[in-house]
Amino acid sequence: MNAAEWFVMAWNYSLLVYILFLNAFMLLLYVCAVFAIRHHNQREIFLGLSDLALSNHTTPVSVIVPAYCEEATILSSVKSFLSLRYPVFEIVVVNDGSRDSTLTLLVDEFNLFESDQPVRNQLRTKPIRAVYASASEPLIVIDKVNGGKADALNVGICAASYPLVCCIDADIILDSDALLRLARPLVESEEVVAVGGIVRVANGCEVEAGRISKIATPRSPVANLQIVEYLRAFLVGRTGWAALNALLIISGAFGMFRRQTLIDVGGYASDSVGEDMEIVARIHRQKKEHGEPYKITFIPDPVSWTEAPATLRVLRRQRDRWHRGLMDTLIRHRKMLLNPRYGTVGMLAMPYYFLFEFAGPIVEILGYVVLVTSYSLGFLDFWFAVVIAMAAIGLGVLLSVAAILLEEMRLNRYPRWYDIMKLTFYAISENFGYRQLSTFWRAWAIVSFLRKSKAWGDMERKGFQPPPPAPLIPLNPALSVKPVVPRRDNPFPFLSDLR
Amino acid sequence: MIIAYWTLVALVAQTALIVLVIVRVKAGRRLKEAWHEEYYRRLRPALDRYLDTQEPQREISRLRGWQKDRFLAPLIVDRLMLLTGAEREDIIRLAHDSGLIDIYLRAVSSSRRWRRARGAEYLGYLGGADAAYPVSALLSDDNETVRAVAARALARIGTKEAVGMLFPKLDAASEITRLRVAENLERVGHLAVEPLLALLKDVDLRETHEAGIVMAAKVLGNLHAEDARKVLRTAAIDSASVNVRAQATLALGKIGNPEDLLIVIDRTHDPEWCVRGQAANALGMMGDASAIPSLRALASDRSWWVRRNATFSLAKTGPAGEAALVSLLETGDRFARRRAVATMEALGITRRAVRNLSKPGPSGNRSREIVGNVCRALDSRYLKNLSKTLDDDENRAVLRGIIDAENAEDQKVVNLHNPSARRLG
Repeated sequence: MNAAEWFVMAWNYSLLVYILFLNAFMLLLYVCAVFAIRHHNQREIFLGLSDLALSNHTTPVSVIVPAYCEEATILSSVKSFLSLRYPVFEIVVVNDGSRDSTLTLLVDEFNLFESDQPVRNQLRTKPIRAVYASASEPLIVIDKVNGGKADALNVGICAASYPLVCCIDADIILDSDALLRLARPLVESEEVVAVGGIVRVANGCEVEAGRISKIATPRSPVANLQIVEYLRAFLVGRTGWAALNALLIISGAFGMFRRQTLIDVGGYASDSVGEDMEIVARIHRQKKEHGEPYKITFIPDPVSWTEAPATLRVLRRQRDRWHRGLMDTLIRHRKMLLNPRYGTVGMLAMPYYFLFEFAGPIVEILGYVVLVTSYSLGFLDFWFAVVIAMAAIGLGVLLSVAAILLEEMRLNRYPRWYDIMKLTFYAISENFGYRQLSTFWRAWAIVSFLRKSKAWGDMERKGFQPPPPAPLIPLNPALSVKPVVPRRDNPFPFLSDLR
Repeated sequence: MIIAYWTLVALVAQTALIVLVIVRVKAGRRLKEAWHEEYYRRLRPALDRYLDTQEPQREISRLRGWQKDRFLAPLIVDRLMLLTGAEREDIIRLAHDSGLIDIYLRAVSSSRRWRRARGAEYLGYLGGADAAYPVSALLSDDNETVRAVAARALARIGTKEAVGMLFPKLDAASEITRLRVAENLERVGHLAVEPLLALLKDVDLRETHEAGIVMAAKVLGNLHAEDARKVLRTAAIDSASVNVRAQATLALGKIGNPEDLLIVIDRTHDPEWCVRGQAANALGMMGDASAIPSLRALASDRSWWVRRNATFSLAKTGPAGEAALVSLLETGDRFARRRAVATMEALGITRRAVRNLSKPGPSGNRSREIVGNVCRALDSRYLKNLSKTLDDDENRAVLRGIIDAENAEDQKVVNLHNPSARRLG
């Protein structure tokens, strides 16, 4: 056996071991997820959500909505957020220097007035131009200089009046008791510092008055494939990691935190594309380094919905950004990798993300290259290559279909036979082409990360209503809000009563 | 080749198996729902007949223990929410006679946490005073959910003994426990007043148990406990804790006794902003016109929260308060003007003024003055929208006249100072 044959053989065996390890990990997460969801469902019977909704003592929540050029959906979104079921909450919309009529629409629709409400200067942010408030709704709109989503979230955190903050996307659709479900772990246990929620694909669903009225699968194959992906990622992946207290990401579209925890870690990183993952990693790091008991948990209740990209072009941009965000976070927090000081995060989650999420596309593409090269050079053991291919694809099919089974067993959000069978079909077919395409995009993301690209790319949102025509009114740039001297402690102990 | 073949077979078989399981789970769920519905279809009329005749029903007596737990108990609890008086007693008697109470008394000692939780939950609904002691044992359970369910169950039982069991937890180290106990004490109602007063009166506890005392003051306010006024007054004035003073002040406002007005007005001079803010809230709740000068002064407070609360509270103190609110339209502080205008719009004061625009005499003059001030204080967007909805042509014409006059005046000022500037909101 010459060196080249030896290399090919070694590579093939390594690849097989890699695939088996990856799938063993996923299986472990799957088992953890099954038990976690079962536990959650049993506990849900005693949830007492109606008690929480009617209580005078439920911890109030500030819902932070960063908005950039959201004129298509902002009004319907804010109206639906204002009708959420929760005893005391406020909506803080942060207009991040939108170039369209987002701000004008909000001011006109909700009859907002310019307010001298102070915004505590507890995080470094771009300048704020003005604060608008409503006399009749628990709504604040902050107009600021464009600084990106992370910066907008930080402004929202500074402006938030309440001890819990819920960070959501402007175009997300929430069930009416979404806040109650998300807040419950934080209300129940002081150790819980952050809670992530599952985000579902809204494509194909019927939306009425800002709520999902009928759940169905979409026609677009791209959207259906993403449903399967989301089920695997959220239902299996995140639930499993949360059960191990090693959840490294809370979706920026829907997550809740203790406000003080966010202040303590310095808020979202403005220079990161994956700010949602980065801040969770930073919370883990800080808590472990200070030896503070904490939990970052995840609720599997399907209460939030988002429009997934319906075309490959937009999907590619999204996946490119996600992967760059992942790489950025892993590199920033590489100190935690295989460091026992960081518990399951350092010893399990970080190695998993480095080895399988980050390096996975490289390994897979190298695998194809070696496969083709060795076959053309006559080194390849054909049947062994078939075994590897079946392991990679077959186990992938198994895990995808298992995610559909978990959805059906525990959550049952797709009541029609047609929808569940369709998703099962896509769970199988996903592994023949779509996953390979996704791998290629992620591999390309590594290239663009190395080229230091920080672009978000435009997300084309169709929205759920036609955008109303509105002229762009130039704002008075002379207006600015003077920052307030920060106080470390919460200066607003009983804001629920002050309102 | 053989390995590859069997690998393929294994993977295909496993995938097919999972797909079959999906089909089975879905079909099984449909069957289970139909089966449950069949049970309920038979039990509901039986329950109705029992309530009418108080005679044992065959459909109910034939149920086994697990069937009573799964089907009968939820039905009984649903009915309990709707019944009062003798019918309520009848249905609770049915729960006893059918053995449900015994089932749940055994359940609270179960090694399985969800059984304990279920036992506590249903004993809270059905068990009565005798169930308080077994349920209270679960207040020290290892599981947080079981403890929460036990606290809720004791609140539902609502006897003096049950309150006595809940009350010590009001001072727990955990904020979540305190919140939950406070919630449940409120649910109990006036039985909770006496032990809460004892907590407030206990001088020794004041410094070390601030959180519990604050919670007690809050609950007493929510219960509108007149008996607590004396203690709350003392706490509002004398307490060294800012939070206690603030919460006691607010509680006095919620109780709303006019004799406490002077105390609350005195609190508007407290050096701490949150006490002043709660005093502003409390004065708004009391709605007494003699608080107007204090609220008017607080509308210019150095703290934004106090200013905001005072502005809103002014509108709740009757016509004189509304007049004070209108006077804010002439203040030099543009934010105060805008806040006042927004409050007037939100509470319908502006709309009422607009409806009286065409009236002759002092009330019409006053309305026209108010609307003019609103236009000057803020962009006339709201008024323009309002004019489109007015039925009365005369009022609409007067309103349009005022708006146009103010806009013409604005334009002169704008042209003089800065042609490109534009007010927004």
